Amino acid sequence: MASEIDAPFYGESTWFCCGNAWGPCGGTGHGACGTCNSGSLQCAWPNTSDACYAITRPDRCGRTGLLRRTCGFTLYIRSRCNGNQVTTRIADCGPQTDLFCGERTCCSGLCARDRLMDLTPAAYSRIASLSTGKIPVRISSTP
Amino acid sequence: MIGWFAALQPLLVGAVLLWAGAFKLLARRAPALARRSALSTLVGKDRAAVAFRAVGSAELAVGAVLLAPPALAVEAVVATGLCIALLGYLGYARVVAPESSCGCLSAKHTPVRWRSFARTGVLAAASALAVAGAQWWLPAVDARPGPAVVVLAAEALVVLALSPDLDSYWLVPLRRLRVRLSHPLAGSAGFEIPVASSVQQLLRSPAFQAAGPWVRSDLLDFWDEAEWRVLSYTARYGGRLATAVFAVPRLRYEPDAVRAVLVDEADHSVLWEFAPAPAPVPTG
Amino acid sequence: MSELDRRRFLNRAVLGGATVVGATALGSVAPEAAFAAIQPDGEKLELDPSKPDPDFAEGRITGISGSLLLVTGSDGALHRIQLTGGTSIWKLRPTTIESAEVGDGLYARGVRMGDGTLAADAVWLNIVNLTVHISSIGKDVIHFDHHGSRLVGHVVPGTTAAVYNDTPAISDLSLLKVGVHVQVIGAWRPDTNEVDLATVYAAA
Repeated sequence: MASEIDAPFYGESTWFCCGNAWGPCGGTGHGACGTCNSGSLQCAWPNTSDACYAITRPDRCGRTGLLRRTCGFTLYIRSRCNGNQVTTRIADCGPQTDLFCGERTCCSGLCARDRLMDLTPAAYSRIASLSTGKIPVRISSTP
Repeated sequence: MIGWFAALQPLLVGAVLLWAGAFKLLARRAPALARRSALSTLVGKDRAAVAFRAVGSAELAVGAVLLAPPALAVEAVVATGLCIALLGYLGYARVVAPESSCGCLSAKHTPVRWRSFARTGVLAAASALAVAGAQWWLPAVDARPGPAVVVLAAEALVVLALSPDLDSYWLVPLRRLRVRLSHPLAGSAGFEIPVASSVQQLLRSPAFQAAGPWVRSDLLDFWDEAEWRVLSYTARYGGRLATAVFAVPRLRYEPDAVRAVLVDEADHSVLWEFAPAPAPVPTG
Repeated sequence: MSELDRRRFLNRAVLGGATVVGATALGSVAPEAAFAAIQPDGEKLELDPSKPDPDFAEGRITGISGSLLLVTGSDGALHRIQLTGGTSIWKLRPTTIESAEVGDGLYARGVRMGDGTLAADAVWLNIVNLTVHISSIGKDVIHFDHHGSRLVGHVVPGTTAAVYNDTPAISDLSLLKVGVHVQVIGAWRPDTNEVDLATVYAAA
């Protein structure tokens, strides 16, 4: 598999809540970076730190080469369903990649596997309906 | 009688401490577990793995001493102190890092909850009782083997029931067996195709790929029309408010057959249409 | 136009028989062509990701006045959400404004108007997307462990669906196993640890 060093690559994106939000989200706080809010265009990345990587373990799914990107780094997420793109900043560690190794999601004939991205509700709803739960996306550090 | 009962306790406490110590020293994921536990908050991330293994070594040493002859009161006192210290650590973890894992007996992520406190309390009580033990545990077992097995088995079951990190060894298989026997969700299977299935089929269709960028809402309405399920969404097309209408095969899975139109909300004209490509005519 | 007439009209439009005044696309569309040729309406200014998205609102409903929802955000901000006939409303399933109640959790996406009101394209009430662990299964109920806390999932006949390994969603939940991780889309029952299940994603 080609290394994902600094080139756009593909994976699944889900969405999560953060901040002092309602529901089962209430206890999660403002994420690993301390700045996460459900209403902001933010995301969680599996390799924000050593401690984060030890939890998400994308290498267990064969996804090695995910670069270390720390809090505040800008990532561009494009939905493979409709081509819509959202600009986000990293605000948390996630998703739990190694729990769903090999999982695949398809849309419009395009697929992606493994959970590599988690978006806030504001960011996810810019490119997909929240009721879809997860979509295949293109992740890059350039627009 | 109390002396005999107390003499059995080092066997229980020693066995649990040996398990806990061996796990901390031998688990491949021990460094990662240490960093995810409240130890990293207590001693710092860099020293968490070392501290984790040090605790494991202490547990192994105390467990081995409890199991080996002779039975000395000071051994039980040390074991009691270790359990009380662990209670303190659990309280610290609950306050400072409530979602962190105990990492006590297995690699399973188990945040500190009441069961962890109760288990450690039981072990502390058993250790304190062991101070009153007048002899090593093996002669006590030999003296009354039947009752000894019953007592130790009951205590072991209590410790097991209070160990969330060991649930996968017994509780999960038991619950799976109950599901296999009782089929609690058997009634969920029905003949009706759930809307989620139609939406999933739509999202995979070329029609949605073509119309998707114009769609602005989530599913607005849906209804069944003969062999089709019709799904409607709000859309914007060239600045005009429209309704995106998709016809999805209801009784078969064929995303390529999905049809779509965009209907202008103002004058109900059809602005755009997507029809499935005709099947290629076989040649030869 | 009555609701029934509208559906009949839309049926004719999508299933054949309506005159198309605009464009027609035939067959499959290559993704690159689709994304290149079809531009989302309007160019959006580049938004600052560190600030709240102005075209999005989250919070709990504190008042309902006709088709206007009054919402208090988790950051204390007050939002006015204007619903129209074209606003989709999700509360476990597509529904109407009559289903909205004070106390419901809300996410809304739309267009922020000049007076600060959000004209909503889509509203999701009490929607949650959770990665959980199945701890036990009972009659029409699934008990989850969510980061160490207990969560109760209610199976809703006719609505709850399961997706096994990305195969088409089905209503049969009997393949779910105790002890596995699943993803759950559901509707939270406000101020409880209970959720009505919409979709459960699991490995088979």
